[in-house]
Amino acid sequence: MGGQKSDLLHGTLDMLILKTLTLEPMHGLGVSRRIQQVTDGVFDVQPGSLFPALHRLEQDGWIRGTWGRSENGRRAKYYRLTAAGVRRLGEERQNWSQLALAIARLLEAT
Amino acid sequence: MPALTRMASLARSLMRKGGLDRDLDEELRSYVDLRAQELMASGIAPDQARRQAKVELGGIEQVKERVRDRRRGAGIDTLLQDVRHGLRVLGKNPAFSLVAILSLGIGISATTTVFSAVHSALLRPIAFSEPDRLVAAQKTYDGVPSGPVSRLDYFDYRDQSRSFEHLAAAVGGSAQLTVRDGPEPWVADVGMVSWNLFRALKVTPVAGRDFLPADEAQGGAAVALVSYGVWQDRFGASPTAVGRTVNLAGHPVTIIGVMPSGFHFLDNADLWTLVDRTGPVDATRDSHSHIVVGRLRPGVSVQQAQGDVDRVSRALATQYPATNKAKGLRLIGLQAFMVQNIGTILVLLGVATASVLLIACANVAGLLLARGHRRMPEMAMRSALGASRPRLFRQLLTESVLLALAGGLLGVGGARLVQAGLQRMLPWAELGVAAPAVEGPVLLFALAMSLAAGVAIGLVPAVRGTEARPSAALGSGRQAPDGPRGSRLRSGLVIAQVAGSSVLLTLAVLLMRSVVGLTAVDLGFEPDQVFTARVLFSGPEYDAPERRRALFESVLEDVKALPGVTSASMISKLPILNPGQDWGIWPAGRPPAASGDAYHALARWVTPGYFKTVGIPILEGRDISETDLPGAPQAIVISKAVAETLFPGRSPVGELVTVWSTEGSFQVVGVVGDARLSLLLGQRRPAMYMSSVQMGSPATRLAIRASGDPAQLAGAVRQIVRGKDSGLSLVDARTLAVIVGEALSPFRTVSVSLGAFAAVALLLAAIGLYGTLAYHVGQHRLEMGVRLAVGAAPPSLLCRVLGRGLALAAVGLILGIVIIVPGALLLRQLPVSLQFESPSVYLGAILALGLTTSVACLLPAWQAARIDPIEVLRRQ
Repeated sequence: MGGQKSDLLHGTLDMLILKTLTLEPMHGLGVSRRIQQVTDGVFDVQPGSLFPALHRLEQDGWIRGTWGRSENGRRAKYYRLTAAGVRRLGEERQNWSQLALAIARLLEAT
Repeated sequence: MPALTRMASLARSLMRKGGLDRDLDEELRSYVDLRAQELMASGIAPDQARRQAKVELGGIEQVKERVRDRRRGAGIDTLLQDVRHGLRVLGKNPAFSLVAILSLGIGISATTTVFSAVHSALLRPIAFSEPDRLVAAQKTYDGVPSGPVSRLDYFDYRDQSRSFEHLAAAVGGSAQLTVRDGPEPWVADVGMVSWNLFRALKVTPVAGRDFLPADEAQGGAAVALVSYGVWQDRFGASPTAVGRTVNLAGHPVTIIGVMPSGFHFLDNADLWTLVDRTGPVDATRDSHSHIVVGRLRPGVSVQQAQGDVDRVSRALATQYPATNKAKGLRLIGLQAFMVQNIGTILVLLGVATASVLLIACANVAGLLLARGHRRMPEMAMRSALGASRPRLFRQLLTESVLLALAGGLLGVGGARLVQAGLQRMLPWAELGVAAPAVEGPVLLFALAMSLAAGVAIGLVPAVRGTEARPSAALGSGRQAPDGPRGSRLRSGLVIAQVAGSSVLLTLAVLLMRSVVGLTAVDLGFEPDQVFTARVLFSGPEYDAPERRRALFESVLEDVKALPGVTSASMISKLPILNPGQDWGIWPAGRPPAASGDAYHALARWVTPGYFKTVGIPILEGRDISETDLPGAPQAIVISKAVAETLFPGRSPVGELVTVWSTEGSFQVVGVVGDARLSLLLGQRRPAMYMSSVQMGSPATRLAIRASGDPAQLAGAVRQIVRGKDSGLSLVDARTLAVIVGEALSPFRTVSVSLGAFAAVALLLAAIGLYGTLAYHVGQHRLEMGVRLAVGAAPPSLLCRVLGRGLALAAVGLILGIVIIVPGALLLRQLPVSLQFESPSVYLGAILALGLTTSVACLLPAWQAARIDPIEVLRRQ
């Protein structure tokens, strides 16, 4: 289950998954590993958070999952970003920048 | 994402649920595989790696549950799942479900039926425009409302008050008069109204014109409006009907207009004529027959109008002290006035049905609580498998709402059935309100009641049912006895049920006793074997009393000669059907100080043989006889109550009395028993009977006592009447027993339904008590087994369980008796008299309750006593 860290991620997990999938189609474990690596282990996305998010994103049409084979021949479900997903990521990114900027200004205000 | 795509995705996810679930399953398994491979790559043994991967996943079922929760449409999905599961659970316990659904169905059916009546009578506004401005006026004596208003007073109020757009009047009760217009005469129900009644109600004729003030000024009665129904049936809906002159009871009357279809007010009249300013109805201020209705001027409140009317009352009191000293007029809203008689009955039934529903709910809640305790292992298992507490809570609540909805469905079906009975039970048309129907708002009410009942019965059991700790509940093989909270809850429910049913039972017994008391024994006359009918005559040729007398006498003679007729006579007003009016009576030479202070008795004119015919006993003296003719001393027969009041301690026979509004004095020739002349005026009424012949007043009601079936006389009597004279006709041919039965039927229906409610409530309470005790015994089997094993005698256990049950019942009973007091106050307003003081009623109710609850307690107590200690101990 996702611990404290992923709870903090609540609104941003979707964005992180979308961003991760811009590189290449990945399966669930791959997404989780990639986020872990890129954030130096700050975000450790557990299956209990990951799969609900993946399925919700797929249902919304932003990513699409297809069954394929992993590099060592295992069957796995690979997710790739759709055109709608790309647009969505753009929106999320912009919202995030605005939010981050606003928080930064608030923190730096004297 | 466009809405359409979202919808499609929602539909897909709902429909493809199975496929998605399998997909997810596979995906999670592949995740475990991949992770295990990852771990093996870092040098961990395959077995170890797989196990660790699974542990990291944290339970496939939990993850799946979370994914399902986050899917779009998860709410609907869960609901459907809950409903499916709920149906399955309920289906697995058909006995439990049936009892619960039946209990709730009965409760909801009763409340829905009564609500539909309340809705149509009290909540839906009356069908006149701006009903808020319509008021009714009742005469008062010393501030106490006492019925209709005198015509002369009405005209004074109309002329002198300033608050009304129109102050109108109608003579209470319609008259049956013969209409001649063509070859076949017919009988019309004729209402007498003031010229402005329809204007006050804002109802205008659909053809012709309304009455005008000038019509009334001319003396009235020469013009008439007809109902839409009569216009269609009797005049073929012809436009030329307006302006036609017909013969109404011998007088020419011109039809000036047709009222709208469906219009009626207080009585179902076919024809309306104007109140006759010089006629015999309310010729003095001491006679009161007019129902007064007013439309307030815009902006005038009822209080202001009341002040205005009071001012007129004071002026009248000064002007006519003899009659109006204590008299007044009280205004109330027209709607309240129209439903005042059934209002109390409806409130009573409402309270009764609400209690039945509450008892039913308490019962089902008790059942659910007990079952919830048995289902604790299941709940624990589901919670261990990943169901959250809110999810379990929702599941349990869904089950109880399902139960209640099924009960509601049953209830609506039941209400529709009961509806037919209700239509007959209360005189809707006469009240001017629409008959109730199970539709629209009533269905909404039933739905709301079902949902409320579902939540009410499910809330506490759901809270308690989801308290289970998986470890505790799964750990122990046997169930731990329910804690003190649970047993207290159930005891409280049982006490409430017993209390509620004891209230209903007592009220029902009270009401039934008085209704039973209204039948033959207590009537003061014997309605069986009596045939009655009205002889109508029309035309001025019958105005001469001698002619009428000769005709009626010859009719009576022929009727008496019919085979099977033992006696026959005529009277002006039949008991129960026409109570008639109170007239003052006092010993000659000792008039009361004011006419309002006089002793009053109902006045009737009879022909000889009346008492024998209807079975009123002659206690002293003689009947009105053939020799009491005009010119002879005026004879009067008084009832026992009159005799005892006017001539206490001595025989009144031979004494002279004076009767208000008559000339000369009357000689008391006989004393007869008091009889119930009206159901609505309480007990048996004092009455006075005068000779129809001597008074020169027609007694047009035939009363015939037969030795066989009285109803079979109708044809023969009709033939005699027709054969005598073409101007005579026979109407309203019925037996007296039928008349009494019809008058009683509303009370009988109310008391029977109340009785049925009480019986259902008692049964439910007994089931509740039984369930609670049986459950208690089941819970304490081990304890009781141990007690038996260490030497307790089985009878002592029996007594313990019995005592526990009876104690609950006793507390409920005491609580119930405390509640009865306000309920009894409500019943006091009913037109039937109730003997609240009679201890036998309470004793009977207590006995019935005691017996039923004892039976309910005995079974579980018997089970407790029969516990086999060896078997119980071995099983543990």
